[in-house]
Order: sequence, then C-alpha cells, then structure tokens
Amino acid sequence: MGRVLKKEDYKSFLQKLKKEAELIAPVTTDMTRFQVVDNVDDIDLNGGNPFFPIKKYFLPNEEPLLIIKNGLTKEIKQKPKKRIIFGARLCDINGIAIMDKLFLDHDYIDEKYARRRDNTIVIGVNCLAPPSEYCFCSSMNLQKDNCDLLLHERETDYYIDVLSEKGAKFIKHLPEEEFYYSLPQTEKRLGKKDLWPYFADKHWEKDSDLCVSCQRCTILCPTCYCFDMYDKVNPGTKNGERMRNIDSCHSKDFTEVAGGHVFRDTRLKRYRHRVLHKVQFFEDKFKRSMCTGCGRCIEYCHSKIDFVTTINEDFK
Amino acid sequence: MSIFQAKRYRIKEVLPQTDDNVMLRVKTRLNPQPGQFVEVSIPGVGEAPISSASCNNEFLDLNVRIVGAVTEAITKMKKGEQVHLRGPYGRGYPMDYLRGKNIVLVGGGCGVAPLRGIIEFIDKHRMDYKEIYLFFGFRSPADVLFKDEIDDWSKKYNLNMSVDKAPEDNPFNCSVGFVTKLLENAELSTDNTEVLTCGPSIMIDKCIDILKSKGFSDDKLWESYERHMKCSTGKCGHCMINGKYVCMDGPVFRHDEVKGIDE
Repeated sequence: MGRVLKKEDYKSFLQKLKKEAELIAPVTTDMTRFQVVDNVDDIDLNGGNPFFPIKKYFLPNEEPLLIIKNGLTKEIKQKPKKRIIFGARLCDINGIAIMDKLFLDHDYIDEKYARRRDNTIVIGVNCLAPPSEYCFCSSMNLQKDNCDLLLHERETDYYIDVLSEKGAKFIKHLPEEEFYYSLPQTEKRLGKKDLWPYFADKHWEKDSDLCVSCQRCTILCPTCYCFDMYDKVNPGTKNGERMRNIDSCHSKDFTEVAGGHVFRDTRLKRYRHRVLHKVQFFEDKFKRSMCTGCGRCIEYCHSKIDFVTTINEDFK
Repeated sequence: MSIFQAKRYRIKEVLPQTDDNVMLRVKTRLNPQPGQFVEVSIPGVGEAPISSASCNNEFLDLNVRIVGAVTEAITKMKKGEQVHLRGPYGRGYPMDYLRGKNIVLVGGGCGVAPLRGIIEFIDKHRMDYKEIYLFFGFRSPADVLFKDEIDDWSKKYNLNMSVDKAPEDNPFNCSVGFVTKLLENAELSTDNTEVLTCGPSIMIDKCIDILKSKGFSDDKLWESYERHMKCSTGKCGHCMINGKYVCMDGPVFRHDEVKGIDE
C-alpha cells in the first residue's frame, strides 16, 4: 500500500524533508548534479540523470579512515550527518545495493560506510521515460526495494511507494492508495551472455584501442568502488591521516607490486577487466550484475566506447 | 572499531638477512597460519602486506624485503620499538588437508619466507607428515635467507638448494643454477605427494610445467600469489584477478583454481 502526494503539496513535503535532515537532491546549474539543497525551489527532477551518481554520499572520493597522531593510529569519533537523498533514480539506488554486498560483508563491515547507510534515507524517483538514449537499465533486473520511498509521478499527484519503515514515517499523514506502476523501459538493452568464452575475443581490442584511460567511466559509475589507501602526513610532524581515495582499475599502477611489476600492463587488459568485473566476475560471485545500466560510462566516454554494443553484436 | 585499525606490537629482535632483507621478530600471539599475511604499518609512512615466516604463539617473524618507502622504513625499525599490525588475512597453505602426505616445498628468493612458516609447523607436527623435500633457490650466496637454519634443515629434511650464480665463493656448497633445474633433475614420486610453491611468478610457472611433466596433477600443486593487497578485506580491488580476491580467496590457490588464468 502506498500514499498519494498532491502536486500542490509537493513543495511543503520537500520543506519538511529539509527540516528533518541535510537534504541532497538534483540541482541544475551548468549541469544537473546532486548537491545539498538550500532552497527546495532549486530541486530539478527534469534535468536528466545527474552527472555524478549518489555513491559519493556513502563512499566519498577522499576520506580519512584513521587519525595519525604522534605516530599512532586513532579511531575517528564522528557521528555522521543525518541525510536524505531525494530524487535518485533506480540505477543509482541499485548501485548502493551492490556496494552493500562488499562494504557490509559480515566478515569485514566497513564501519564508515555502514554508518552512512544507517543515517541516510533514500527517496527515489521512478523514471517515466529513460532520461538518456544511453540508458539500458531495463535489461539489468533493477529492484525497487533498495530505497525507503519511491515517487512515481502522475498527472496531478505523486504516488509514493513505501519501501521501508524509516521512509513510512514521513508520509503517514498522506492518503493511502494501491497502485501498480511499471519501471522504465529502455530501448537499449544489454543481452545476457556468459562472457568467459569471449575472454580472448579480438573485439576487446576494437574498444580498448579507443580508450585513453581517462577514468571517467569509473568515476561516474554508480558501483565502481575500488580505492587506494595511503598515509597523509603534515610536513615536519608525525600527525596526519590514513586516507582512502577512490581509485580506478584503468590506471596503470593499479596492479603494480613491489619491485615495479605491473600485472595488467596493457590498456586492453585494464579495459577488459573493468567491463568483465561489471558484468561477469561480480555476477559469478553474487548472482547479480554489478552494472545497473545507467549508461553514464558510454554517454560521457571520451570516445563513446559502447561495451553494450560490443557484447551484443560482436561477441558471437 | 574500524576494520583498518591496527594494533601495536613490540619488536623482540631485528634479524638482518641480506643487503635488502631484514627479518623482524615481533612479540604477538596473532599466529597466522602458514601462507597467511598481515598488514604491517608505520603510521605516517604507510602499510605493506607481509607474509608470516613463522608459526607459533609467542612471536611472529616478518621477513621484509626493501622495495619501497614503507618496507624501507619497516626495516629500519629497532628492537624494542613498536610496529602496527592488522590481520592475519587470507587463506594459507592447507596444512590439515596435507596430513599423512609427502610434501615438496619449492621457494625462490623471499618466497622462501612463507615456506619457513610451514617448516616450523611441520617441525611441531612432524609425525603427521611423511617425507619433506625442500627446493630453495636464491640469487647468490649473499642473498641466501635464514643462513643459520640451512644446516638444520638439511639434517632434518631433504634439502636441495641452489644459487643462480656464485661469482666469488659458495659457502653453502650448493648447486649453481636456477632452482627449477634442481627440480627438473630430482626424482620425485607423485604418490601421495603435494607441492607447495612460493616465489616469483615466472619461477612458479616453470615449476608447474616441470611438475606436470613429472606426472603431478593440477590438484596436487599449490601456489601463493603475489599482489599488492591494500585493504586486505576484499574491497579495494587492487589484488583482484578475474573476480578472485587474492587477499581473501588466496593468497594460496590450488593450481586448478587458477590454471590458465589470464587477466
């Protein structure tokens, strides 16, 4: 059972959210991005899928893991902000569910990630039509139950699907309704294929020849979580931080080991690794693809490399 | 507590090995299983994954080869100072499964260090294992690790040692040439025998070819993979090979698990 929010009450709903916690939503300036909202009138759900995915609110590009003081490592005692992310689309929301598999792995729960997850409410919006020609999410088996609330726009109101207790408390006062809606249907689709037989296929080279290792695809991917760890020290002191920085498997030194040997020493190997990690390796282990079909890695690629077309058409 | 938080342990002894290898003996009960590793760090310098070279409840031997800023700083530490450790991590050599079998250890250079942990384990449980063969190779006599123990090993086990070259003298009276040659010339029965290797990947590949030509099947060969494990908790992605995390699924793999792996 969901709830119904009339369009005339939409603004006051957003204002209420803003009072509850730090509100993050798509805002259009030179482009549409998720950012902290000062004025709810700035929220723009029609600007297409925001450039950066919401992953940075759970796994920041750069963050200290431990404090280094006088040569010792100390825990960071800091309560994360209460946040509401409003206006995320299902591709980004599923991206978080994918990151959960690793960062909330029972053997090694990443405490910082887990705290941010606990303190963040995600309110999604259902795409009525794919925001970009590069979207192929309807072939990626997206689930809607990874967020707290999901808004589906109708002519005069929003139908709000209630997907968690945390989300329910914001809309208890709204009238109930049972309504079935469909998830977006994209024209572009990634065919399901076992890619192991194509590991040595010559078509990888066609794509990797166009790649310039700019790492845009990994930065913009809602699920690329690879990171580097290093110690940052204030000059002349023994104080600083043990840092975690988002890293990219496209960089040459990503697989460098002691002595300088690089295992994935060609661009082809690095390109293939990224694509196969998304659509084969992760699937082998977790029985779901690591790709959510947002299409950003194709849309914003320097050379418009399209692994979906390569997989669909070239791997025969 | 953060999974990246390390604990401090006191260095009991510093045991220099060669020009570029120093072994730290750290007072700890962490006791990694042979083949497992720990993240060793000096806050402000950084972390490095180092394999355990011992197997006991009183101390942990870490043979550190100087290859960068972090390992260099670690090797400069002195007795009585404290080093930060977290772990142990990974899947080590299958010591339980190997009970009742003949074991062949093949190590090259600092790859001998993790095998030393196996030797210590076998020393303690000698009755559980049958014949033990050691094949250890080093670059030159000056690069031989654990010099004081070589004699003991040669008395207790079937030790075959080589140095790639001996430009001046050869105090160990060992053969000169690659360790793979020793292995090639050795008469090894495949019967109830398993082989555990650790060393440069080129050496491991060659050893596997030789062992297979001697009739060993893929599921009797165990190899330890080298990668730069940064988080060691199956997240950061640096050690991943085609979906396998060396830090958690390895670093020790049975050959049929990684056979023909290209990346």
